[in-house]
Amino acid sequence: MIAIYIVAAIAVFAVVRATVEKNTGRKLPYVNVMNFAVAGAVVLLIGHPLALVAAAAYFVGSTLEANAIASTYAGGERRG
Amino acid sequence: MLGELLHILAAAAVSWILFVTVDILFKLPEAGGVSGASAIARDIEAGGGALSGGTMMGNIVCSPDASAGTLLAACGVYVAGIPGGLVAAALVFIGNRICHDPGYAGTTGAVLATFVVYGFTQVGFAATDFIAGMVIAILTIQGLSHAHASRLLARLWRVRE
Amino acid sequence: MDEILVLLFAAVALIGALGTYLQRDRFDKLIALGIVYGGIVPFIAARGYLDVLIAVSLIVPITTIIVLPLCRRDTRDA
Repeated sequence: MIAIYIVAAIAVFAVVRATVEKNTGRKLPYVNVMNFAVAGAVVLLIGHPLALVAAAAYFVGSTLEANAIASTYAGGERRG
Repeated sequence: MLGELLHILAAAAVSWILFVTVDILFKLPEAGGVSGASAIARDIEAGGGALSGGTMMGNIVCSPDASAGTLLAACGVYVAGIPGGLVAAALVFIGNRICHDPGYAGTTGAVLATFVVYGFTQVGFAATDFIAGMVIAILTIQGLSHAHASRLLARLWRVRE
Repeated sequence: MDEILVLLFAAVALIGALGTYLQRDRFDKLIALGIVYGGIVPFIAARGYLDVLIAVSLIVPITTIIVLPLCRRDTRDA
């Protein structure tokens, strides 16, 4: 069961890169890597079918958050 | 231990090829789907990258695309086999609509990845290998070097054109 | 969930908290708050509270979206 340790280590690496990066627009891809890692970790921690729904809800929610932050950062009209 | 590590690396290569192919076939590098994707592309270009590769990376950030579809399909196959993967495809479709993305890249990628991951589980791979492999694959695109990754994606996009 | 995983995910949450405190730009602060939330999610999942996790996953992004109009760029560039 080495997979979950790899996923957790990648999450820490991505968070360190995101914190060190100065430019806001270039921070968001690093945070995206962390979202992938956390969504994978939720399913790897418990292999219950509801974990799939939880991982999808977490992933869609955080993507929506990144989308809203990026749109406001761009200064454009945010729809919805 | 070592065998599992090699399985994870092989799964990372397979899922990398799968999601980059689907994303480029669905023309993600062409234009930013939302204004945030274009802003991220501008910042990546200012950091020394290529614009079309940056647009694809911005689209990956701002909406669940084929990479998210591959990850959730692998999770679905892990918890419930092929029906789990198809449920994951439906969830990705709902997520696309929530994020104002009109495309079908995520849904197509999830359905394709369901069958690819299921096929590999028949020949000795575990579905967990694909979950970790997909995280490694997205790390190589979004997390190591934005300049190099966006130039590589731009070169692949020129081949598609 | 063993000690190594606890340490790694706690590191994610703590780095996010430090980043929220140290960074000046308001968008950077919101992004770092998202990182804190991402570090907490595996702890909720490891206990098996999946319904709590689904509810929180929907509440936190909506909170961010409500807070976002308060930090438009043109009011005061940080």
